[in-house]
Amino acid sequence: MRLFNLTICLLLLSVAANAQQNYDVNLIPKELTPYANTIVRNSVETVEVKDLNDVEYHVTEAITILNKNGDDRARLIAEYDKMKELKYIKGYIYNSFGQQISKFSKSDCEDYSAAHDFSLFEDARMKVYTPSITQYPYTIVYDYAYRSKQTLGFENWEPVEHHGVAIEKSSFTFICKPDFSIKYKATKVSAEPLITTDAHGLKNYTWQISNQKAAKYEPYSPYYSDYLPSVEIAPQKFNYYGIDGSYNSWAELGKWEYDNLIASRQALTPETMQHIKEITKDITDPKLKAKKVYEYMQSKTHYISVQVGIGGNQPFLAADVDKQNYGDCKALVNYTQALLKAVDINSYYCVVQADDDYTIGLQKDFPGMEQGNHIILCVPFKNDTTWADCTSQTIPFGYLGAFTDDRNVLACTPEGGKLLHTPKYTFNDNIKTRKASFVIENNGAISGTMTTVFKGIDYEYRDELINESKVEQDKMLQKIYPINNLLIDKLDIAQDKSFTPSTTENIKLHARDYASFADGKYYFLLNTINRITETPKEVRNRVNDVYIARGSTEEDEITYTIPAGYHLQKEPLNASVEKPFGNFKATMELKGNQLIFKRKLQLIGGTYSKDTYQDLVDFYQAIVDADDYNVALVKN
Amino acid sequence: MKKTLLFLFILSGISKILLAQNFEYGKASQQEIDMKQYDKDTSANAVVLNEFGSAQINVSYDNAIRLTYEYHVKIKIFNHRGFGHGTVYIPVRNNEDNNLSDDVNNISGITTYKDDNGATQVEELDTKKIYKTRDYKYQSTLKFAMPALHDGCVIEYRYIIITPFFEHFHSWQFQSNIPKVNSEYNALIPGFWQFNIALRGPLKLTKTETGVESNCFSAGGSKAGCVKLVYGMKDIPAFIAEEYMTSPKNYLSALNFDLIEYTNPYTGVKTKVTEEWKDIDAGLKNSQRFGDQLRKKDFVKDHIPPSILNITDTTEKAKAIYKWVQGYFKWNNYEGIYCDAGIKKAFETHNGGISEINLTLVTALNAVGIKTEAVLLSTREHGFITKLFPSIGDFNYVIAHFTAGGKSYLLDATDVELPFGILPLKCLNDQGRAFSMNEPSYWITLEAKQSRTITCSIDLTLQDDGKLKGTINRFSMSYEAFLRRKTIKKYNTIDDYVDFVAEHLHKIKIIKSNIANADSLDVPVEETYNIEVDASGNLDKDKLVLNPYILDKVNVNPFKLNERNYPVDMGMPSDVRFIINIHVPPQYTVENNIHDQNIQLANNGGRFLTTFTNDNNNIIFSSEVALNKSIFKPEEYAALKDFFNRMIIAEKTELVFHKKS
Repeated sequence: MRLFNLTICLLLLSVAANAQQNYDVNLIPKELTPYANTIVRNSVETVEVKDLNDVEYHVTEAITILNKNGDDRARLIAEYDKMKELKYIKGYIYNSFGQQISKFSKSDCEDYSAAHDFSLFEDARMKVYTPSITQYPYTIVYDYAYRSKQTLGFENWEPVEHHGVAIEKSSFTFICKPDFSIKYKATKVSAEPLITTDAHGLKNYTWQISNQKAAKYEPYSPYYSDYLPSVEIAPQKFNYYGIDGSYNSWAELGKWEYDNLIASRQALTPETMQHIKEITKDITDPKLKAKKVYEYMQSKTHYISVQVGIGGNQPFLAADVDKQNYGDCKALVNYTQALLKAVDINSYYCVVQADDDYTIGLQKDFPGMEQGNHIILCVPFKNDTTWADCTSQTIPFGYLGAFTDDRNVLACTPEGGKLLHTPKYTFNDNIKTRKASFVIENNGAISGTMTTVFKGIDYEYRDELINESKVEQDKMLQKIYPINNLLIDKLDIAQDKSFTPSTTENIKLHARDYASFADGKYYFLLNTINRITETPKEVRNRVNDVYIARGSTEEDEITYTIPAGYHLQKEPLNASVEKPFGNFKATMELKGNQLIFKRKLQLIGGTYSKDTYQDLVDFYQAIVDADDYNVALVKN
Repeated sequence: MKKTLLFLFILSGISKILLAQNFEYGKASQQEIDMKQYDKDTSANAVVLNEFGSAQINVSYDNAIRLTYEYHVKIKIFNHRGFGHGTVYIPVRNNEDNNLSDDVNNISGITTYKDDNGATQVEELDTKKIYKTRDYKYQSTLKFAMPALHDGCVIEYRYIIITPFFEHFHSWQFQSNIPKVNSEYNALIPGFWQFNIALRGPLKLTKTETGVESNCFSAGGSKAGCVKLVYGMKDIPAFIAEEYMTSPKNYLSALNFDLIEYTNPYTGVKTKVTEEWKDIDAGLKNSQRFGDQLRKKDFVKDHIPPSILNITDTTEKAKAIYKWVQGYFKWNNYEGIYCDAGIKKAFETHNGGISEINLTLVTALNAVGIKTEAVLLSTREHGFITKLFPSIGDFNYVIAHFTAGGKSYLLDATDVELPFGILPLKCLNDQGRAFSMNEPSYWITLEAKQSRTITCSIDLTLQDDGKLKGTINRFSMSYEAFLRRKTIKKYNTIDDYVDFVAEHLHKIKIIKSNIANADSLDVPVEETYNIEVDASGNLDKDKLVLNPYILDKVNVNPFKLNERNYPVDMGMPSDVRFIINIHVPPQYTVENNIHDQNIQLANNGGRFLTTFTNDNNNIIFSSEVALNKSIFKPEEYAALKDFFNRMIIAEKTELVFHKKS
């Protein structure tokens, strides 16, 4: 024990040395200031594994805030819970000359619940310190430590959390006994750490970055972890809530999760088992049987998040869900598995990183507990693996949507973990097809009907309208279709919940003053239904690749019946662009008094080189121009 | 706003005695279980079948005076969209400074539903599944989810809160976002306490009964009778919020209680809480957290930089003080009229709530001899203040007011970017109460002497290559200058801001830019852009098309409703003008004129005016959109909507240039 105390003394010494550093803002290298609101002058983060249930994290960092936009970064938020105990917080504030103007400690911090809004219960709290400095720039120094009682997951080192933050110097050291094996993965920072053995025989792994300029926001960027520096650490042996374990692979980690967190949670009462058998007894096809079970679960339960028990990683008992009719993603998947088991259908409990904007998969080469934030269900039929999210009361069986599509997930099974990949939706799947027939009256009013079919990811696009009151539906439709004075005469939404689901929207509408009349001419916008009005912003010296999460195809065909006896004043619209990431075509044609407008936009998902970005801006510029086409009709 | 004063609490003249009429717990009728939809609002996902509340001041087992509040509700849930009503949040006041807190008891809940075989089943709330979270120092929340929710189920729950904060007599919300069949509230108030009771919102009570219960309260040897009040409403529609309205609180039907006076049952000492403004004035004056702060003139004066003290002109001096206070403190996001930490502590930490900062401003101005009042107000989100009787409870914000050279100034020093004499939008909410240490308080109108004003001049010359080159000069004034500065400051550099402006310009390139006065708060922000406009784009090479509304064009009518129930409140008037000058070289002809527009709103409510001249290929086009009022009543809605409509159509206009071959 003496050994460790000595280490703490050494740490404190180094902190004291730190505090004496000169924080005069004039010492900040000039090349670091462009696009920065915050400069990390020096950040030292250490993690020391003292025992399998005793890890000490220690952070000292000095940050200079250049302007108001950096104030958020100056706020200290230290989270804690039952497994993570805050030891101390100290801090100092310096003016632009580097003179200390105030200091603070843990007792100056406010204490709040850190639970998510959507959670009924979560044992997460935080201490928050918000400095009140009105003179910029200023420098704030934090020094705090906490003790974690588990070694299953280590927090990632992510020295650049945000755009606008430049780094003068930042380091990360992982300290452990020589026999504590770790795996590590470093991104955008030297792949191999500096490995040393300190005076106490402990192994030190150190990564460091310095003089890193602030990143600027760039639209269509990949997920931040692809281009910002980070280090991930995973243990081999660990202790979690008193349970020992070890893993070297996803197979072993998945096995541990199954055995310790899931296996004992799936018992159901005989009555429930009997009931589920009863309602599925006439179905022979296993996939249809599973669909019936899933729909039964959907109709019976709803999503409520309650994070109790083993680190919020263990599902409620299936029998509890059966009685309460609610649960979080873990509980609902676990419950559905139990129901499926009752009718002899095998299924997997799968860990996934859910995100609508990016498809982030579990890393094939780096198993770790810190990846994944959601649980989904996988039902492996012969030659037909089916997926389901159990937290929605309405989505069809087999439909995943943008939240969890196209990514690696970990199936936790009694035989061990398996890395599987969820289905990818391409531009051939995500389809929006629209046909409309409108009449423009002599007084400029428009009326007509419009049918739109949504498939693939787009299936969900009208979910929020279903079951809303007419008043709310009208308000939403007026936002979706920006026709001034739009009034909805009739709305009908039908959903096909088969294995290739689709949503069909039928609208009857009218609006006055759609076309304006002046000097004997009619003017109206050709495309008010599905228009793009802004291009992505220009980015000089782009750094990041261009990322388009998934492909899509949209096709519109609108037929306008115009007042008789008019012809076009300008050339008809005829625009067409083709790029590696997509294509666009818009045309119009006047036949008698029928004006037919066709528009097709297709995007191909993927990551493209940064040079493609200008093409993307030009592509959208062409679309914006086409969508802005004004029809001018002149009397014959 | 509509508020009705129901009852000025006077004991005489009441005779009838009533009994509490809570409905029976745990009994969902067959009809309620079978109900498929709510006929009075078929779009409702859930409906409150019955709701009962009661509140009474009594003496608890430990001989302390408490308010006992009981709540009981039964809700029909038609489909999963209504399941949210099955998750219950009970806010619990929890003062950790003095260890007083609400005590929530007897929570029970029951869900009645039809199982898959059509048989009626019940499931009780498991009290082990009730969770408590401490939100912050003064509040915790109890949360639970009702069990066994099914489409078509009936849920019912009840609880009792015993609170030491009995002066805050529990208000009652008749209206919510789902309809209610019946809602009833009983109040039992011992004669030691007197309250004003006000009904807010447009809906009428369907039940009002009053009576007395003799000897219902005794404490410390004194006894008193109680007034018993019963208020009920039937068939309450769901509340639907509309855009551009002030706080929904202003229109939601609710019952509010304000303490007028009380007699301490143990000592017999009578304390007037509220009766007349002079009582409120005196209370503020004597408050440690208000009046005492305003007395710290010497303390504040010692901190004022000497250079300010030497200024002789009153307004200039006030400006200097204002600027100093703005720069000295950082607002900690707390609102309220009373100081929490106090001025002295705020000086130490450079940090304070609305009251610390603005009372410092008031005190500082008074300290240098500028007679200044503190103006209490309620922010827009917080709702309107009652004018039915004097009440301090509605205020949540305080600003400063002084007059110099015949001009009256309202000041809020909590935002460092606010120009002198401009108030943030949140403060522009009807009237405030001006308070000073030695004169009676009075109402002061907060209606803004500020507006959102933009003036823009554009000068373009058409080039032989079909591009237009020239400059834009945009001046943002008054409140618009404040908003513009806020936007500029969101970016770390001016270049970033210009990129943001460029993003929203269609077919226009910014070649050079200059932003002046981004930091000089009291003058307009001036943006100058050298631009190049691409007027081609259509297929005919010799024809160029330009929409003269290059900046600040309105494309979408913000007013979409057929009918409007609540006023449109935009906070302040607005005025957007621009003039565009286009020099067209002789090789082009200008194909069309733009028709002059003159659209007026009734009673000088607003106007849209355009003029066009083409003098020998020298085009001058000007446009003005002005809304002179901040508030438009529901009956003015149709005209306002039409005004925007006609303006949008007119702004679609295009100038066509043709190149002679």
